[in-house]
Amino acid sequence: MDQNSTTILVPVIKNKAQDLLDLLAEIKDDLEHGNLPQFEELNIIHYARWVVIDHGKSWINDQAERTPKLLFVIDYDGNETDLLQRLGTDSAAILDKVYSLCEHFPFNEKRNPESRLAYLAKHTIKDAAVYIGAPGRTVQQIKEERNLRDFIRAHLDSKTWDNLSAQAIHQEIKKVVLSKDAFMFLNEKTKMPGVNWLGLAFLVLVLLILLPLILVWVLFIHFFYERKDENFTRKRSQLDDEFMTELEKYEDFKNQNQFTQLVDMKAGNARLITIKAMFLLSRSLIRFFFVKGKLMGIPTIHFAKWVMFDKNKRVLFFSNFDGSWQQYLGDFIDNSGWGLTGIFSNTKVFPKTNFLMTGGAYDEERFLAWSRNSELVTNVWYAAYPDLSIKNVNNNTKIRVQLMKTLSERQATKFLKLI
Amino acid sequence: MTPLELNDIQGYLIRGYAHMMYSRFVYLQINDAKSAKKWLAKSWKTMTTAEYIPKKSLISNTHLNIAFTYGGLKKLGLKPDTLGTFSREFRQGMVSPHRTRLLGDFENSAPEKWNWGGPGNTPIHLCLMVFGNDKESNDDIEKDKIVCINYYEELSAQFTENGLEELLYIDGQTQPENKEHFGFRDGISQPIIEDSGRIGPKDDIIKAGEFIFGYKNDFGVYPDTPLIKTEQGNLNLLPPDAEGSGLKDIGRNGTFMVMRQLEQHVDTFWSYINNQTENEDGSINEAESLKLAAKIMGRWQSGAPITLFPDKDPGVISDINDFGYSKFDKDGLKCPFGSHLRRNNPRDNVDDHGVKESLKLSNQHRIMRRARLYGEIFEGSPTNKAPKGEVGLLFCCFNADISRQFEFLQYTWANLPKSKELYNDPDPIIGVKEKPSAGEQQNFTVQDLPVSRTVKDLPRIITVKGGGYFFFPSISVLRFLSTI
Repeated sequence: MDQNSTTILVPVIKNKAQDLLDLLAEIKDDLEHGNLPQFEELNIIHYARWVVIDHGKSWINDQAERTPKLLFVIDYDGNETDLLQRLGTDSAAILDKVYSLCEHFPFNEKRNPESRLAYLAKHTIKDAAVYIGAPGRTVQQIKEERNLRDFIRAHLDSKTWDNLSAQAIHQEIKKVVLSKDAFMFLNEKTKMPGVNWLGLAFLVLVLLILLPLILVWVLFIHFFYERKDENFTRKRSQLDDEFMTELEKYEDFKNQNQFTQLVDMKAGNARLITIKAMFLLSRSLIRFFFVKGKLMGIPTIHFAKWVMFDKNKRVLFFSNFDGSWQQYLGDFIDNSGWGLTGIFSNTKVFPKTNFLMTGGAYDEERFLAWSRNSELVTNVWYAAYPDLSIKNVNNNTKIRVQLMKTLSERQATKFLKLI
Repeated sequence: MTPLELNDIQGYLIRGYAHMMYSRFVYLQINDAKSAKKWLAKSWKTMTTAEYIPKKSLISNTHLNIAFTYGGLKKLGLKPDTLGTFSREFRQGMVSPHRTRLLGDFENSAPEKWNWGGPGNTPIHLCLMVFGNDKESNDDIEKDKIVCINYYEELSAQFTENGLEELLYIDGQTQPENKEHFGFRDGISQPIIEDSGRIGPKDDIIKAGEFIFGYKNDFGVYPDTPLIKTEQGNLNLLPPDAEGSGLKDIGRNGTFMVMRQLEQHVDTFWSYINNQTENEDGSINEAESLKLAAKIMGRWQSGAPITLFPDKDPGVISDINDFGYSKFDKDGLKCPFGSHLRRNNPRDNVDDHGVKESLKLSNQHRIMRRARLYGEIFEGSPTNKAPKGEVGLLFCCFNADISRQFEFLQYTWANLPKSKELYNDPDPIIGVKEKPSAGEQQNFTVQDLPVSRTVKDLPRIITVKGGGYFFFPSISVLRFLSTI
């Protein structure tokens, strides 16, 4: 089954923003005590978050009057209609509570699964690019494979295995596992997604053909746009303390964390064309190449995506990942700097870039400061399996796939290393 | 290439003063800023610099260095605007709800229980580091102690008249073989600051900006140095910001110093290891016990890396440090992925990256360690595990970016149980939780053939007793501070 991501953006009723923030704070508290059955029981949601935007000051001091809006982002299994249908049925209570504070939500007596579905569907906005760290894996599968790995690990620890060949051990594990009802799911075949080399070759070919155009375009952007940019010049020490404290209140409770970022597009079609081209490139690479748990070399992301809204004037970035973003981000500049710069240099007040390639994300200090500064508080964040890293998730599938195969001694040795 | 201004850098950043086996770390409060500045106006000259003195006889038998907390700089009268340019970690200090989560300071390690640096303790303003060495003798800690204490007494006699009040001190010692209380040779692997005049393996040579403000770091940019925002004092003493902001740089040739007092539970450590490896009749299997401990640490007690000596301790004191994991130990069969040393400095084998990329990543998270022992010197082993009274490590390290260096190591590489492909393996020495949450496992995985083994239910073997973040200024900044 495929994984999908949906973003729903609705305006908050005038003067209700504070009520909504308070309500979300309550939900967050419940979540910290492990209590969000409305999502848990659906068993199809990987991650979900509610974020109230535009209720405070714009960080680039944009004077435009904005009304507070509520973002709802869900990463899930299956198709959107099914998800919204189930949310409107099984999660109705929490949905009604939250959305009764938002514009256009059906009145009390008119609330039913269909009207909720219609409401949510009407307010969805399109993704620009979605990355999935374990493509094809459902919540159910991820949990089952976790149990499988834990079981095999415990079994290996239950006795000694000296003088047995790897093949024999593999066989024995298989036998024990298949005798358990809990692992009946193994009868369903699965495989690890692979790189689409043909697609990738095609992409490279297209890029080569377009190369002269791309070079001209980069020069054009440099001389007519980049040099006039207003740049982000602050360092991390210069960020607003109160805001940092607010962000930190939501971080590092589990081994996984979230990140929500909202930035505004620079004016002009040239910037829009550039970012759209970058998103197209990202989508292609994600489809053909970034299918094994690494996004531009970053091995810690479960789900991430970019969304454009407000007539392409604003860009949102969401990520669900292992560890601490601030600590990690620097590690990936080398590998992903070009991509991050290529995308985000089209948004207002980014660290100074040259030819869309140098500066920008490669200016470690200012890039980290910019990233932190344009981050938003994520009011409610739900994660279905916070105890697993994305490496764990992918490794568990590998274990499952290899377990069911007939292996040579060499392959069996390799298999045992996974556990 | 910018040569380091060694005569402006305080010595402890560049040298560990290993020959000075006895030291006293004195934590003080400034009661009267005016008198303290007057004292600083004279005493900056007595601070030991990093300048290289080729002739041994000319090296002083006492060394002195100084570091300030954020509260200390504030008390001295540094203007708020300027204070605001110091990094957030330093300004906040080691204790905040978020930082406590990152560092894992809970239960008995909770800041509320600390002896110093915690919310319940009198705020510390500065730390004086006093070192002594008896030049007539060789590696005689008792004699070094006399020199150190005499020097301390000379200094402390003037504290009150100089507006300073001593809050506490901790005596830090080294041992000739440099073994810590669990019995392992410590401090072998250190980064070498580029152009500092020290030599070592080329993989260990790190850009000066990782450890000293005013120089470029591993990313090729200048670290986030504190700058003078509001004019005060004799600004002629300060260099301009190397990055060209036009402001005066108060950070240059200085850095941040992290201190943590870590009590070591020697008995818990060795009893646990002995239990895991005991013979069938319940007796101690010393060889296996030493081996598991070496796997957990990453080196044998002698210091020999287990990656190069997988079977047993070669026995002789070892400083071997020019090695990697990728070539000889990619699968962790010798040094497990979860071992304390491998995870905190994965060298040329970070995750599944290639050698070059790995070295680069490792080197973006190095710290200059300066740990010393406190409590009665004790050398733990499977059969010697009951020290007299409290023993531990006064951990100390230097770094220009507390978040990306010290805190990254403690959180991302030590506390997070997900190093490499691991599942439930925190750093067995410094990352284990005293009280794991319900159902949470804390294991150490020993990669092996045909199957790896899980060593279960690791105990927490250290307790944090105090700590703080300090600014370790240059000599000229000390002078400047006396004029504000």
